[in-house]
Amino acid sequence: MSRKVAELEGVVKRYESGEDELTVLSGVDFGVERGEFVTVMGPSGCGKTTMLNILGLLDEPTEGTVRLDGKDATDLTEKERTLARRESIGFVFQDFYLIPTLTAEENVDVPTAFSGGSGGRARELLETVGLGDRVDHYPDELSGGQKQRVALARSLVNSPGVLLADEPTGNLDKETSDSVLDEIRRICDDGVGVVAVTHDEKLTEYSDRDVRLDEGEVRRTGKVTE
Amino acid sequence: MTRKLSPAVLMACRNLLRNRIRSALACFGIVIGVIAIASLGILGFTLQAGFMENMGDVANQIEVTPATGGDGMGFGGATDDTLSEREVRDVRQSAVGASVVPVRQDTVDIEYGDMSTTRTAYSVSEPNVLFEAEDGRLPAQMSSGVLVGNTLADTMDANVGSTMTVDGDSYRVVGVLEEVPWTAPVNPNFGIVVPENELRDEEYSSVVVEERSADSAEATAERIDETLNRRDDVVDVQESSDLIENIQEQQRLLTMFLIAVGSISLFVAGVSILNVMLMSTVERREEIGVLRAVGVRRTSVMKVLLTESVLLGIVGGAVGLVLSVGIGAVINHFMLGDAFLVFQPGNVRYLATAMGFAVGISLVSGAYPAWKAANEKPVEALRG
Ligand SMILES: Nc1ncnc2c1ncn2[C@@H]1O[C@H](COP(=O)(O)OP(=O)(O)OP(=O)(O)O)[C@@H](O)[C@H]1O
Ligand SMILES: [Mg+2]
Repeated sequence: MSRKVAELEGVVKRYESGEDELTVLSGVDFGVERGEFVTVMGPSGCGKTTMLNILGLLDEPTEGTVRLDGKDATDLTEKERTLARRESIGFVFQDFYLIPTLTAEENVDVPTAFSGGSGGRARELLETVGLGDRVDHYPDELSGGQKQRVALARSLVNSPGVLLADEPTGNLDKETSDSVLDEIRRICDDGVGVVAVTHDEKLTEYSDRDVRLDEGEVRRTGKVTE
Repeated sequence: MTRKLSPAVLMACRNLLRNRIRSALACFGIVIGVIAIASLGILGFTLQAGFMENMGDVANQIEVTPATGGDGMGFGGATDDTLSEREVRDVRQSAVGASVVPVRQDTVDIEYGDMSTTRTAYSVSEPNVLFEAEDGRLPAQMSSGVLVGNTLADTMDANVGSTMTVDGDSYRVVGVLEEVPWTAPVNPNFGIVVPENELRDEEYSSVVVEERSADSAEATAERIDETLNRRDDVVDVQESSDLIENIQEQQRLLTMFLIAVGSISLFVAGVSILNVMLMSTVERREEIGVLRAVGVRRTSVMKVLLTESVLLGIVGGAVGLVLSVGIGAVINHFMLGDAFLVFQPGNVRYLATAMGFAVGISLVSGAYPAWKAANEKPVEALRG
């Protein structure tokens, strides 16, 4: 029945380090639909990045089910996960993570480069995010906001069904973050499901729905509320 | 990304250029390794080629000499240090079709100009079978005059047409011989060749048989041995090709040894590539994590990293190759008198081996770091 493009059901994530056991997520139910912009808020260390990584098939849940486009993606092999990420998921990381040896355009092209290239889409995306005059610049020749926009363009080059953004405005001033958020909103209106993890209340001005990942005190249940 | 270059090659090149000094040093190790293998190989091959150039034309000769050692008490056969007429006849019968040249030899006193010396004189019926003339002519049948060995002629400054006194008798110098390789059965470089029956010693010291080829020489040598030594060891049969093969075998071993020594330096170069690749993948842990996170497959990541290490091998190998050809040209110039002989197939084989080894070892060295980096979980790499 689900129109959800990405979905977590009863997801538990535990880390074991020696004797200690740390439960970061203890039964998360969460989903995002196409064209929906959801923010996930919560205190630092509550497990937001962890949840996003599981949703994006970068990490595996200890228990529970991950669905992508309605299909169970919990038990995919490493290769299948990689292909699924390439086909249907876009990532914007907490720290841009651009490749320093590649130009802006080449960075945007990375997800598709090994499967035939994006056929000019990389350049178009850079123009869309207002960096049409910076395509041949290397990351160290770009400002923080420009890097973030390159990272955003990279997350879209594979035309993903869902965009997972970790602190997309974390390092940006007000003006730049406004332009980045406008861009994300526009992407969302084109039918992409967006999950943005943030501390920044401002994102709620752009979102359709906001949830809190609330661990309560220390190492307790992560709970999704509406 | 640039259409012309595959993304793996593009990324590999950029990564190598990021730390130029480190890449250059890793290449340098390969350069040295390739030079070591290629130039030692070329040196060995050139030694062999130089040897064959001098010795090759006696490979079809057989020397039959009186048997040494063995049953000294035996009756019958002439187990002294000469060969009888009958034995020479037997050799002739066993070597039909080949040139059979019985040789006598004796020590003589030579006077020439104001020099006098004691040397070995050989007398052979057909000197033109065994020797070549550097100066003058070689008679098919020698009836008068003497031929002077190459080294002796140099020492005495002997010329064709002058007169030489041998054991008190005067002879005309009719020819100066070309240098004879030391593997030849009869070696008059330091002596002279006189007409038949001019020596006091009437007995033959040896018989030289010249066959058409080294192969038929082997068969003939066997036949002589079977015929003459049927009952008793009367003669020793020595093929020049045996001696030559022995020496060649030793030279081959020497070459192999030289190459093995050279290979050690390539192994060291391989270790340095391994080290460089390990360092660089650790430094780029996050970058590689990002590649994996955005959907670049493990095999593609490995391709990038292997391309990097192989590029180190190829570049280092190519530079090493160019330098090796230069070194080989110098070796060939001085040892064989022709620098271009470095492009002989035998040398090219060593150049190719060195290059192949360089690329191979860089591939092997890159494999572990590439595999390790590609298989790291992207979440862990990104968490730092
Ligand atoms: N590999 C790991 N081993 C052990 N504990 C881990 C591991 N990864 C994450 N954690 C813990 O899980 C918790 C959640 O981490 P996560 O990165 O998801 O937090 P976050 O909500 O994204 O925080 P922030 O807002 O600061 O980015 C943290 O307490 C962290 O220490
Ligand atoms: Mg986080």
